[in-house]
Amino acid sequence: MISLIQNEIIKILLKKKMFLIIILLLIFVSLLSYGQQYTYNKNIQKFEAESGGMEYDWKGLTTQRLNELEKRNMDELIPGEVRSSIDREIQQLNYFIENDINPITPTASKFNVGFAEQGITLLIPLLIVILAADLVSNEFSKKTIKILLTRAVPRWKILLSKYIALIMMTTILVFIIAILSTSVSYLFFQQWGFNEPIVTGFSLIKGKLDSSSTILISRFHYTLLIYSLVWFVSIVIASITLMISVVIDNSPSAIGIVMASLIGGQFLQFFLSDWELVKYFFVTNLDLTRYLTGSYQPIEGMSLNFSIVVLGIWAIVSLIISFVVFNRKDVLV
Amino acid sequence: MFKKIIWPLILFVSIALTIVFISGFLTSINVSKTEEKESLEKPIINSTNTSEEGDERPKESSEILILGDSIGFGLGDEENLGIEKRYLDLISKKDGNKKGITNISVPGYESKDLVSLMEGGENNTSISSASLIIISIGGNDINRLEMEDNIRLTVAFEEALKKYQTNLKLIIKGIRGINPDAQLAFIGLYDPYSKEEAEKTRLLLEWNYETRLIVNSDVKCAYIPTYELFEYHLNDYLSPDEFHPSGLGYQVIAEELNRVLN
Repeated sequence: MISLIQNEIIKILLKKKMFLIIILLLIFVSLLSYGQQYTYNKNIQKFEAESGGMEYDWKGLTTQRLNELEKRNMDELIPGEVRSSIDREIQQLNYFIENDINPITPTASKFNVGFAEQGITLLIPLLIVILAADLVSNEFSKKTIKILLTRAVPRWKILLSKYIALIMMTTILVFIIAILSTSVSYLFFQQWGFNEPIVTGFSLIKGKLDSSSTILISRFHYTLLIYSLVWFVSIVIASITLMISVVIDNSPSAIGIVMASLIGGQFLQFFLSDWELVKYFFVTNLDLTRYLTGSYQPIEGMSLNFSIVVLGIWAIVSLIISFVVFNRKDVLV
Repeated sequence: MFKKIIWPLILFVSIALTIVFISGFLTSINVSKTEEKESLEKPIINSTNTSEEGDERPKESSEILILGDSIGFGLGDEENLGIEKRYLDLISKKDGNKKGITNISVPGYESKDLVSLMEGGENNTSISSASLIIISIGGNDINRLEMEDNIRLTVAFEEALKKYQTNLKLIIKGIRGINPDAQLAFIGLYDPYSKEEAEKTRLLLEWNYETRLIVNSDVKCAYIPTYELFEYHLNDYLSPDEFHPSGLGYQVIAEELNRVLN
């Protein structure tokens, strides 16, 4: 089994697709971080021009805000849950002042999280598709499946080894995305910002933002949470892509179908958010990271747990279909 | 090369990362878990509230309907009267005939929530039967913008204002689609912050001005200014939360409403 997996990994590496993906990522990340740096500088300039050449004094503004919050916190009439959220904001602002960090400066870790949050619905799944789509169908296209199946191993073992190899590569890819987006954006921003505390755990109750369950965690910890969700989404996408790759023994159409359903799914969510069925479609549930920051409910009745369950079911069903189809498939090459 | 270096490396790295990701994944489920429990309790309170209001008054020929946010709801009023009952007191003193009140305001509503409420269509009957519709919306749209720095505030303000404008137009159009004859009254925003923050005040005035332009495009829609009323009386007119009007504040708004409409 191990040698089978090893074999599959060699195949993936030989196709140089990881290389292609890394180049794509490098281009995107450097463009985006350059753009962010540019808009930030422009904003600062705009502000300075508006306030008559006065230098942008974030420290003064932050201290002012801090004082205001502290004054509000003294007020006895403020309910406990509001008070605790104010406390958290005070802690956060104190951190910024103590460490001499401007809260709105772009940092590498901030960019990293933003990149993952934006990419989780489309970009990252597409990268996974590049990796996974021709895993099985390519064997059919190139007729190498014959050689593979003539070995004295059951078919399910072959598919399983492919799947495990895919999962391993996906995991590494997610890690590479994290590393690349952090390190490249660091070149632009010159600040890591991993210790910066951020607030998470907001929840939406009947249309109102409830802040009583918020917690303060470091940005590093938060990044870890975000990337775990990205990883989960990637695994699900990989499983679905594997199924399509097995069912359709033609690589270009397999890639096309997955891409079309990813992009079409976004439309579906956009136009048909009233329609109950849409929320059981996997594309609608991809945006897991936004549940963490609260206030997000694309369609009524959706939550992090709901989305995870739906995605999990999609992945499991895809796997079952893949194995059944692969076991019964006639190989006519 | 592959067998000796790359393969063990890939194997080890992927297993380690999988463990890290799974633990992170479980934590993030836990982070959002607390909300699930709480969300079960709160909606019940909400639903009883609305049903009480619905039953409060049977339908009468000429009705006052008030819709919008916490100010429409009457939050902060010590006597729990709110604008509509205080206004009703004022006019019933004069001509004595009693009107029915329906209050479908929801504290915390932003303009987009009101739009979706209107689209829901559940309140179409109360809108169509009303002779006076009081709207109070926008306070939460702008209050949400409390930001730490001026740059983002300005940018966010422009964005929020634009959305608010379209929403307000939709709301008025929606009401007019159901009830073309009713008198509308829009409660303007006052400035609950003291004068220290000049920038916020400036934005609020701009907001009110833009609101007024939209409100005045409808012939039977009156704009009730509150900024001027509250300007030098924040201590008296604001409730202890320093954001919502006090009973006295509501009384002043109701009087202004009465003055404008007569």
